[in-house]
Amino acid sequence: MLRIYWRFWQVNWAEQWQYRANLLMYLFYWLVSPIVYLSVWVSIANVQGSVSGLTANDFITYYLTLLVVDQLTSEITIHIFAYKIQDGTLSGDLLRPVHPILTNALVNNIAFKALNLIVFIPIWIALFLLFRPDYSSVTLITILIAVPGILIGFCLNFLLGAMITCMAFWTTRVYSVSQFFYLLIVLLSGQFVPLQLLPPVVQQIAQYLPFQMFRFVPVEIIRNRLSTAEILFDYAISLVWLVIFYLLFRWVWREGVKRFSAVGA
Amino acid sequence: MHILRMLSALFKVNMELALAYRVDTAVNILLELLTLGWELISLGIIFSNTTTLGGWSLGELIALLGVFHLVNALMNVLIWPNTEKFNASVRDGTLDYTLLQPADSMFLVTFSRMVIWRVWDLILGAVLITIGVNMSGLGATPLNLLGFLLLATSGSLILYSLWIVMIAATFWFTKFDNNVTILQALLDTGRYPSTVYPFWLRLIITYFVPIAVATTVPLQALRGELGPLQILLFLGISAASFLAASRVWKAGVKKYAGASS
Repeated sequence: MLRIYWRFWQVNWAEQWQYRANLLMYLFYWLVSPIVYLSVWVSIANVQGSVSGLTANDFITYYLTLLVVDQLTSEITIHIFAYKIQDGTLSGDLLRPVHPILTNALVNNIAFKALNLIVFIPIWIALFLLFRPDYSSVTLITILIAVPGILIGFCLNFLLGAMITCMAFWTTRVYSVSQFFYLLIVLLSGQFVPLQLLPPVVQQIAQYLPFQMFRFVPVEIIRNRLSTAEILFDYAISLVWLVIFYLLFRWVWREGVKRFSAVGA
Repeated sequence: MHILRMLSALFKVNMELALAYRVDTAVNILLELLTLGWELISLGIIFSNTTTLGGWSLGELIALLGVFHLVNALMNVLIWPNTEKFNASVRDGTLDYTLLQPADSMFLVTFSRMVIWRVWDLILGAVLITIGVNMSGLGATPLNLLGFLLLATSGSLILYSLWIVMIAATFWFTKFDNNVTILQALLDTGRYPSTVYPFWLRLIITYFVPIAVATTVPLQALRGELGPLQILLFLGISAASFLAASRVWKAGVKKYAGASS
């Protein structure tokens, strides 16, 4: 099985490498909204001294860390897979004895991420020099504790993305479905604003949802802002969601492929 | 007159196109409503933590969101769909047919695709501006209002000119598929007053990709912050950039040699 993944890696890495010129543009596109939110909150914090206890430096470290975490947990399955369902090229993939999403698409995601990171690191250093954050609360330990969270966050995000992509078996408007989830995730994952600034009711709900693992929880662990009890609670909730997402994905995929063969016949 | 007839013909074709995909249009409008809800919620969250943003009140931010929707209308009705069409036509060579038509090529490239239902962004923008201005209690004088309208139009004209230069760049660098990405990426900065951004970003969105000139600046006129001389200056810049853009376009068309060669 490992050898299969290795083969897929070689193919996908080579494939992504061809598009390296587009990368800079893609990264640029993806950077803007966190920087906008950073600026908005920093400008408020500078006027008031702090926002609900968060200082300008808190916002700067929050969003700069978020850029890294987001890069690691993001996924692009819909862009590399939805068209295969729509134009029928999925048939070829289905003939192979491995799961097309859990092998090829997954590895493609990771190859894309790896290549992105190479370009992203110098950009991040530039942003670091521009914003000059004070990272004194971050230690190697806090980063290590966040690693499982980032992994779980990626798995959750990937499975969610895979399920949304599978909606293409039923509807041609799969990008609209994805857009809807995007709005929800920007709000509930902590991309727009650190979750503690949301209305208390929304915070309560967000705590039990999988989305906070995409960004907020790993970022706050790295910034050393969560207690051990909070970290354990968030990890437990997210593991439950991981099981739910996995089972749900298996089911959606099975039903989808059934429909797909029905259309093809 | 001739131009109006051509416009109405292109409008009719695109209207039929939109009607052929009715459900898509309905779904898209629903998504737009959700996005609007999101935008208002995000402003609500910001203003539950503060009373001013960059010196602007909630009402002024709503008016700014309205101006942002006006710019967005230009982008979504004309700029993005025609970019897509233009880039494809350079790749596969169908641009030749556009250039052969007995009409101004810049006009055809601008208006051949129209995503009609997106015109609703204009209405939404107008509604948001009205609500925002009322909320903020800006006693906008007719003169300020005139300045606002002139600057909103001229700001959009500047962005349009920039777009023409960006796509004309394809004539020199044929493999330039990402010609408008910078504009697309930076557009979202227009939701907030440019005064909140750090110096380097404000520099970019004022002078290089002047989104702030089409969003923040008109609203500054409405707040009465700009003198008549400044307004005239912006109008002059927009006229100059339009002329420069059409020159670049003509030079580009001359340089263009077709996809096959």
